[in-house]
Amino acid sequence: MEVADRREDFGVWLERQLRIRQMTQTALADALEVTPAAVSAWVTGRAEPREDRKRAVAAALGIDEEIVHLRAAEVVTAPSLKWHHRPAHADGGREFGNAAAFAFDADVAVLAREATQNSLDEQDDPNQPVRVRYTLNELSGEHCRAFLNALQWEEIEPHFEAAATHMHKVGRVIAEGLREMRESDSLLLLRVDDYNCTGLIGADYGDNSKFAAVLRDQLNSHKGTGTAGGSYGLGKITLWATSRLGLVLVNSTLSRPHQGRTERRLYGRLELPWHESNGRAYAGLAGFGETETEPGREGTARSWWATEETARCLHLERESPDPGTSFLIVGAHDAAGDAQSLQEMHEKLVKALADNFWAAMTSGRESRPVLEASVTTLRNGQVVIPEQRVDPADHQPARTRALRAFLDGETVEQRTDTTQVAIAHVPLLVPPEKGGGRGTTSTEHRAVLLVTAADENDREPNRLVCMRGNRMTVMTRRVTDLPLSTDAFQAVLLAGGATGSDSHDAELAERFLRAAEPPEHNDWAKTEDLLTTYARGARQRIEDFRKEMLATVRSLVGRREVKNTGGPAVLRELLRIDAHTMGARRPDRHPVVRHVEGEVDARGAWSVKVEVKLPRRADPWALTPVAKFDVRSGAKPVVAWERLIAGENCRVEDGTLHFEPGAGSASFGGVTDVASHPVTGQMARLIVDLQKAKGATT
Amino acid sequence: MNIVFPYRTLAGEIGFEVTSVKLDGRALPLTMISRDQRAVALHEAERSQWDEARLDVKATLPERELAGGPWSDVVCLAVLTESATNARTVARLAPAGAGSWSGSVVFARDAHHMRAALTVVVVATVDGEAGRAIGTAEETWSVELNERVPARKQELNINEVDFRSGPLEWLQQFQDAPWVVETSGDMPTVHLNKGFEGLAEFLSGSGTPAEKAVRGMLAAQIATEAWTAMFHAAAGDLEWDDEGTPQWPTGWKDGVLRSMLPDVLPELSASDALLEIHLRRAEGGWQELQPRIQYAAARRAKAARNIGNGLRAMSHAAEGD
Repeated sequence: MEVADRREDFGVWLERQLRIRQMTQTALADALEVTPAAVSAWVTGRAEPREDRKRAVAAALGIDEEIVHLRAAEVVTAPSLKWHHRPAHADGGREFGNAAAFAFDADVAVLAREATQNSLDEQDDPNQPVRVRYTLNELSGEHCRAFLNALQWEEIEPHFEAAATHMHKVGRVIAEGLREMRESDSLLLLRVDDYNCTGLIGADYGDNSKFAAVLRDQLNSHKGTGTAGGSYGLGKITLWATSRLGLVLVNSTLSRPHQGRTERRLYGRLELPWHESNGRAYAGLAGFGETETEPGREGTARSWWATEETARCLHLERESPDPGTSFLIVGAHDAAGDAQSLQEMHEKLVKALADNFWAAMTSGRESRPVLEASVTTLRNGQVVIPEQRVDPADHQPARTRALRAFLDGETVEQRTDTTQVAIAHVPLLVPPEKGGGRGTTSTEHRAVLLVTAADENDREPNRLVCMRGNRMTVMTRRVTDLPLSTDAFQAVLLAGGATGSDSHDAELAERFLRAAEPPEHNDWAKTEDLLTTYARGARQRIEDFRKEMLATVRSLVGRREVKNTGGPAVLRELLRIDAHTMGARRPDRHPVVRHVEGEVDARGAWSVKVEVKLPRRADPWALTPVAKFDVRSGAKPVVAWERLIAGENCRVEDGTLHFEPGAGSASFGGVTDVASHPVTGQMARLIVDLQKAKGATT
Repeated sequence: MNIVFPYRTLAGEIGFEVTSVKLDGRALPLTMISRDQRAVALHEAERSQWDEARLDVKATLPERELAGGPWSDVVCLAVLTESATNARTVARLAPAGAGSWSGSVVFARDAHHMRAALTVVVVATVDGEAGRAIGTAEETWSVELNERVPARKQELNINEVDFRSGPLEWLQQFQDAPWVVETSGDMPTVHLNKGFEGLAEFLSGSGTPAEKAVRGMLAAQIATEAWTAMFHAAAGDLEWDDEGTPQWPTGWKDGVLRSMLPDVLPELSASDALLEIHLRRAEGGWQELQPRIQYAAARRAKAARNIGNGLRAMSHAAEGD
């Protein structure tokens, strides 16, 4: 029975009940008329009372029997919630910002990358995609006030005021956030939801708790698997860095019950710099939750099990009971500053998700993607931009095509069609680990290299994207030293787990490459981790791998080397016959027809208006306008003018146009002579040219 | 633009590309197709004999404009032509959704000589009149039948050969000349005499700035001669219609005239200039034009810059001593 599985041990539950009620074991023993030793045995789990005794316990605690049976933690209602501020450090040390936050640019694109990577690392059911949803919601007026009330804003406002007065980076950002919020009477919420993830499981404190790792500790990565993208626990800080107020609320649905419950585990965490308020100094960190009663931790905030009502008021209600976590970034902004409006932020999020996770979102015909992502924009809860599912093929058509062909087994060795994807393998020799019992010889891993033609509008062609793990992009390298006139392409390298293989060599390569990544996970190079973990030569292996992958790309895209029959370069360059089509055109030194417009009139004659561009000169121009019918090949038949009409800066005399000296432009009109038409005017295109007038001097 | 149509034509861009090529049913590697150069090379060393080529073409039409305009029965055609053989092959492309059209042009090797041009034409019924061209691709593709590399031929042939013992016997009479310019044939050729001690090595080498400067001067001199010879060859080879109007030549001669005429007769439009040189050759005044031809050739050969650099380098060298 499911309920039986998830409920808490009776002893743990009873101990907490007593603590909450500040009731001693002896007092309970007296109420139940049993010995204190019996109660002690229950609390420590050495014994469990009979069912009738449990009913008596319920009566003594003043709760329903049902609750004793379910033994889940109580749902806490709003009035029991409070902000708890951490007092300043006893040694007087003052922190004016989170060191980890400074390691990142607080850019929504970086947030999308880091938060989504964390979600991917916490996948719950490996056969189902991880679903992430980004929701921008701009609150104003009453909607904003209602939210702030639920958040107990009046309690934290003095702390913001105090923190904003300091003239350091974090203080300035907070001051700007407060000013903007008051001036515009609005607040931007950015919610990051994931589904089919483990959720923030575990106790409020201590080791082996994802909750503690994310919401209490700093630089604690606590990743579930070895393929994880992060190993420094820095990524989560981008959530706080994206909030101008340093304020993030959390609602997590757990994949494994804690305190007998899974749904609506809520908590709020505020990161301010050191500040003084009402004569007291504060370290800056504050938690929003139920007041902790556990001995030694009194006066701090603890996560609570919220009512649906509270979750809704705090804009934290989740859309389905699937496990996962919702982070609500209060006062979200794009510190990079290039996304100002809601629309721009929406687009930036979509693009960042597509650019960073196109691979995880790509699936073969027979498989499901690892990730599905969407972005929605609301204003006061009303849809402004409807949920937009991120389609990797829209943003990364070539790379998506390459990966899809690989997943479907449709790659080729040599491309004969622009839509085909070529495949090759790049060897990586993984050196043995130092002092490891895993043997002393290197293991060869064959990374997969895919190449396909770039999309026509690709603004960054000729790149090699390197991935490992659950197809996270580690780096994008520009492929240089290509033969001239190589057609634009995109290349993808899949190494380790990204190859889709679970073989031993893939596992070793995965571990090796991860060790070769710096904290940002954006390179494969020499790292401290690499040197301490692996035997000598590890650095060289990485170097070889890097060189080999580029060489393989070149061999896939390059043309066969041809014998250079072009002669000395110095001479070749001077003998280019098409040179006149390139480079800057010299201005014309003769009149040029700039524009013709006209139509065939009722009689079948062409009636045209012609604009002429004149190079400025002191002498007048005398030119003959010539009208011809355009033909595909051979001489174009000339048609006669019935009438020429002078326009601007122009005089007509005997079929010759005289343009004013010194003029920069001129115009004239004309009607062709129908009798001279070789075919009806309706059937032909008309060309108008200017020729040197007979007998005129130029 | 100096052309008007008696009906509405497409303003939007028409683009196309060759996506794959088959020779007698065998697919060519993609490396023989260049999107960048808009060229296809059909000559494979391993299999030089083939009868029939098939080019797969994908065109992109301005879909929204087409849907909203006065055109009906829209047809998109790929057209392959070669002026040397007057061959013309037309293939219908089929709509493939989202403004893209695709199809294949099949042509016989026998119908072509060396270089065919491929374009895309859009035809529709306008104002009740069927079969009107309403748009053409901005840029054509070049189908090179004798080339192994898909590139537009942009340079002259430069043939490094020993005049005394090379395969071209007629060059033996010039064995003491450092170079000879030949303008007959499909493409002009500069023959560099390998038998002329040190010439080829010097032109292809690197070296000190002074050597580079002298090399530039030498190259400019060869190039000036080549451009002069090409201009005379092109001007001497003009054909004209019944009314005595000269026709633009094709191939390299077109390029040579178009690039040099603006310097030879700067105050005339290209077609007037063409008529002018035709008249001067026939009716006199050709000699007076020689300095202008020299000037135009020297400009193409960048003679002023190369000789200036050479002189400066030599005076630096002299100061250094």
